[in-house]
Amino acid sequence: MTTWTQGLENPVSARLRDPATSGYAGLVLGVFAAFLAIPPIEARTTTWPIVVGVVAVVLGIWTVTRRRHRLGYGAVAAGLLGIGLGILATRSGTGNLEAVFNASLIAQTFAFSTPLVFGAIAGMFSERSGVVNIGLEGMMLMGAFWGVYGADKGSTWVVGLIVGMASGGLLALVYGFFAIHLRADQIVGGTAVNFLALGITGYFFFQIYHGNYVPQGVSNIPNVRIPGLASVGFLGPAIGDLNLMIWASFVLVIVSYFVVFKTPIGLRIRACGEHPRAADTVGINVYAVRYGCVVLSGLLAAAGGVYLSDGFGGGTFTENMTEGRGFIALAAMIFGNWRPAGAFGAAVLFGFSSAVALRLQVYSASASTLFNVLPYVLTLIAVAGVIGRTVPPAADGKPYRKQ
Amino acid sequence: MTADPNIPPITPEEAAETGTLAARIALKQRAGGVAVPVLTAVVAFLLGGFVVLATGHNPLLAYRDIFNGAGLNWIFHPTTNVANTAAYNLTQTLLQSTTLILTGLAVAFAFRCGMFNIGGQGQYFVGLYVANWLGFDFQHMAPLPHVLIAIGGATLAGALWAGIAGFLKATVGAHEVISTIMLNWIAIWMGEWLFGDGGPLQNVANNTVPISNDVASSAQLPVFWGVQQLQGLDIGFFVALAALVVFWIMLNRTTLGYEVRAVGFNPEAAAYGGINVKKNLVRAMAISGGFAGLAGAIDMTGYLYHFGVSDIPVSNVGFLGIAVALLGRNTAVGTGLAALLFGGLLFGTTHGLSSNVIQPELAGNLTSMIQGLIVLFVGADVLILYVWNTRKKLRLRPAA
Amino acid sequence: MADDVVLEMRGIRKVFPGIVANDDVSLDVRRGEVHALLGENGAGKSTLMNILYGLYRPDGGEILLHGKPSTFNSARDAIQAGVGMVHQHFMLIPVMTVAENIVLGAEPRDGLFLDERGAERGVHELSEQFGLVVDPSALVSEITVGQEQRVEILKALYRGADILVLDEPTAVLTPQEAKELFAIIRSLQADGKSIIFITHKLNEVLEIADRITVLRRGKVIETVPREGATEATLARAMVGREVLLRVEKAPSQPGDVLLRVDDLHVTDERGIAKVRGVSFEVRAGEIVGIAGVDGNGQTELIEAITGLRKIDGGAVTVGERTMHSASAREMLDAGVGHIPEDRQRRGLVLEFSIAENIALHDYAKPPDAKWGWLFPARMVQFAAGLIREFDVRGGGPLTRAGGLSGGNQQKVVAAREIARDPKVLIAAQPTRGLDVGAIEYLHRRIVTERDEGRAILLVSLELEEILSLSDRILVIYEGEIAGEHTGEVSEEQIGLEMLGGAERSAA
Repeated sequence: MTTWTQGLENPVSARLRDPATSGYAGLVLGVFAAFLAIPPIEARTTTWPIVVGVVAVVLGIWTVTRRRHRLGYGAVAAGLLGIGLGILATRSGTGNLEAVFNASLIAQTFAFSTPLVFGAIAGMFSERSGVVNIGLEGMMLMGAFWGVYGADKGSTWVVGLIVGMASGGLLALVYGFFAIHLRADQIVGGTAVNFLALGITGYFFFQIYHGNYVPQGVSNIPNVRIPGLASVGFLGPAIGDLNLMIWASFVLVIVSYFVVFKTPIGLRIRACGEHPRAADTVGINVYAVRYGCVVLSGLLAAAGGVYLSDGFGGGTFTENMTEGRGFIALAAMIFGNWRPAGAFGAAVLFGFSSAVALRLQVYSASASTLFNVLPYVLTLIAVAGVIGRTVPPAADGKPYRKQ
Repeated sequence: MTADPNIPPITPEEAAETGTLAARIALKQRAGGVAVPVLTAVVAFLLGGFVVLATGHNPLLAYRDIFNGAGLNWIFHPTTNVANTAAYNLTQTLLQSTTLILTGLAVAFAFRCGMFNIGGQGQYFVGLYVANWLGFDFQHMAPLPHVLIAIGGATLAGALWAGIAGFLKATVGAHEVISTIMLNWIAIWMGEWLFGDGGPLQNVANNTVPISNDVASSAQLPVFWGVQQLQGLDIGFFVALAALVVFWIMLNRTTLGYEVRAVGFNPEAAAYGGINVKKNLVRAMAISGGFAGLAGAIDMTGYLYHFGVSDIPVSNVGFLGIAVALLGRNTAVGTGLAALLFGGLLFGTTHGLSSNVIQPELAGNLTSMIQGLIVLFVGADVLILYVWNTRKKLRLRPAA
Repeated sequence: MADDVVLEMRGIRKVFPGIVANDDVSLDVRRGEVHALLGENGAGKSTLMNILYGLYRPDGGEILLHGKPSTFNSARDAIQAGVGMVHQHFMLIPVMTVAENIVLGAEPRDGLFLDERGAERGVHELSEQFGLVVDPSALVSEITVGQEQRVEILKALYRGADILVLDEPTAVLTPQEAKELFAIIRSLQADGKSIIFITHKLNEVLEIADRITVLRRGKVIETVPREGATEATLARAMVGREVLLRVEKAPSQPGDVLLRVDDLHVTDERGIAKVRGVSFEVRAGEIVGIAGVDGNGQTELIEAITGLRKIDGGAVTVGERTMHSASAREMLDAGVGHIPEDRQRRGLVLEFSIAENIALHDYAKPPDAKWGWLFPARMVQFAAGLIREFDVRGGGPLTRAGGLSGGNQQKVVAAREIARDPKVLIAAQPTRGLDVGAIEYLHRRIVTERDEGRAILLVSLELEEILSLSDRILVIYEGEIAGEHTGEVSEEQIGLEMLGGAERSAA
């Protein structure tokens, strides 16, 4: 607050002294440090990434001492990451690097991040209304199986998407009944949802498809090929030919932002998650809002699951296909501080680290693991409050009882 | 001093809803006694049976085959000869139960201190890894110290792993559910790295497969029922039974347990009583993790001997521990019985199952469904409170 | 015009198990009137207002709004009927802006979107109209308590309230903010709004109210116009003449100083100074009573002395030991016994047995335990003795504490604290919510313990209790000692001091 008013008095010099400036500079430099080491720049010595990374860390620490903890620690982390990545990159061969870091990495990042985006936004809606949703994983898994089932039996991916989303919504409704109506413990209920989904999808997978892959030729969610762009040098392989659901995820983030922060219903959702009693006293039906959000959460998480099996997976399902993506989505939501843009950013970051991990596997198993584990470590650090405290909605996870 | 004395004191039901998890669960125990968990399990099995019926199988025959698959028909013809299928199946069920007792205790102990340890799986893995490492190193050691080192080290590792979550909760208030979920996945990826290509615990003789070394024979627990090569029942079973006793004694006969229970029921009253609440959160979490780590150690030294990357996603004993603890009402006896039930389900629906009614693949998933239903019902304490209240009302009505 | 009755409550009755909270209460409010509802804690003011606001259903009586009988089943009904309520604990969402809080549930729209500009404009206009200065775009978490209260008032006005209930509005305000609030109330009054002002501060009543209704023990004592009322007459009506419980006790024989509090400063969770330089002594064999209205720092004072809250400045000396910061354990070991004000939340672990609760402080010491090993049998044996001695009824040592009645629960707490043989015994609200028998027992016991040579610090919101038990009385007002009395003192005098009246008369 004070720095802001100072900025009014003396704009330029105050801006420079503002710790936010140094914080952002540190963040940018940290990313730059990593960027230096990878194509197309490919600094062949470790010197530059380290120098730039160290500057980022110093700026970060300075920012922290100016009490902008979140930004400062972010810059420190970015700087350290830059140094690490720089060293790692320069120690691999140039050819390997180009195989790992090229334009199609962007496409792959989005392919990995899309289920996470759906899951994270799904979780955000539920938790913004005050219901913790540990069951994202299960709802996503339902979507993955029933989506393929719908696409197979309905002969079109549209039916698959509808059936898949409906299955997630239905499971969410059951969860909602226990969590909202019966005021069951939400963590226990969410855990139950995950077990249940694992059992249901596995059971019907064997019952219907005898454990084999779903028959060939299931209608897949199509890619959107942008005419003209697909052949353009860097952009072509990056975004010229992305799946429909990837574009849908971008739209979802923008729409969610407006819904949550710019509409009356968003205001009411947030009120229910922050202070249900206050919402109740001004005539908002807390139960209705929470039911709506939990079911929406199930629909969206399942949509992410449908993409996983019928888009990304090319129309196949395997047992426990989500493999913890629901939990990474949960992590992305927390890391993104219960905000659509933040959740999206975190999901893309986590998707990026998965994509890099996959590509690194051939060259270095340990580096690959490092990238795989990154989302969880970052989230753990985030909840520990090192990079500023993540703040859940005040009434998140607390059952509401009408007076 | 804010409360208006005119407002009537809160009823136990209300207190239970607003109180800690442990307080709510304690209330349920009073509410339904032993009948409620039994009823919960029965309803879950019934609903599972409906699914079986709806998909064209005979649920009664399916459950009979699962019962036999678990080796529970052994009680009709008891024999120690493992050539007998029932006897062999029973040893395998008990082997599974051994693990589940310990992972169940890992969840139950934290519950009693008012925390939800959802990270038993990760703590179990960490125990497995450390037991494998210590069991393979120190090759030419005498058996007893070697086993003790491997098991002790693994238990400690599990305790430390869970202790991180407890520490974060006590110091910065990070919710233990989120941090233990994250620690689970970190442990999983740690395993991928440790046993993966070029990983520090990968098989020294064959570095083309992502599998660990076998623990040295000096670090293997003796088998007392069955044949070691055929995965006989090792003395880890008795360790697990002993752990149940230790759990009970620790909670009910030591000052540590007194503190744990007081903090679990009412942290504010505990603080007023002079108990260091934060210390107890860290300690209870660590003890929980110790149980899970011990589970990993017993499995590694008892019958697995090695572990591979492909085994990691298949293992879910840590998560099953949640169902075991919840169904067992977080008590020693309850956990033991629930572990037996789930151990039987786990083996009886998969490897033990030979049935022309239901295939193991279907039955195995039936286990997950039943598990989910049980957890769902146990979590809905209000449902049980409702039953309890109706019962009370019915009893009061004639008087009124 | 001034005699337009907008609201009439007739013969309202509300019974809670064991307590008649409102007994045939009638009240009428006129248009443009400030009507004060005066009474001690527990007199039934809040119950009455919760009935008006649709939160409780009355067991008898009726509410007439503009002459028409009305029933309110929820706050929603009350809002629609034009009743607005500013709760003592604000119903505001800290992470949202002032404007968002005000329009929540009745948002102005711009197509599909929330019309934020419109909301801020509307709030701004409303705040201009009534002279309630707030910044519509500020976050609630960043504004002062006084501003929060204005937001709550605006929230009611935005919904078209013409009867406004203010529940102890000045309890959380600084004197300056209170002055501003009065100005606001006057401007609302000029606009024709009716205000029901709940309080127990006499000076405020005389400053702002047009008429005053005094409640005592759930009954209306009188409704009087401000003209002619004085602090003395109001205090008498409010506190009452009949003193039910007189405790037989000999004159005290004070001995050594066992508890000394020096210039103690304590803040609450929100960083607000609640205890501001309090100093006093309690000697062996005397009961020192602290009188005061709820929320004047009593809770924080006790928590600081018992090690449950950090001390920001000053020291506490128990016996020979002076402590500037101590844990609850250290204070227990120094010889402080504490009967806490909330026995269910703090005094007992309701899920524990009586025996386990009695061991709550010394569970780790012989004879309860040795080397970390518990001896439940000895705990039970010890508890059985205390149950007999303190006449705890309703169960044995293994009975769950939560299953006992309030009085017996409190006896368990008292038994535990006294059995530890403390030098200093702090009794906070020791008889709150108890029946007469239990109250008598505890009072007699406290006197007995005084005679045993303990230093007793009694904190109570019930003036009668303070007057009948204490050998010396301290009055706490806004975190400071506002008066000290030994020997005979009139209720009116203490009442004035605890209501901030003395400040004025001294000035």
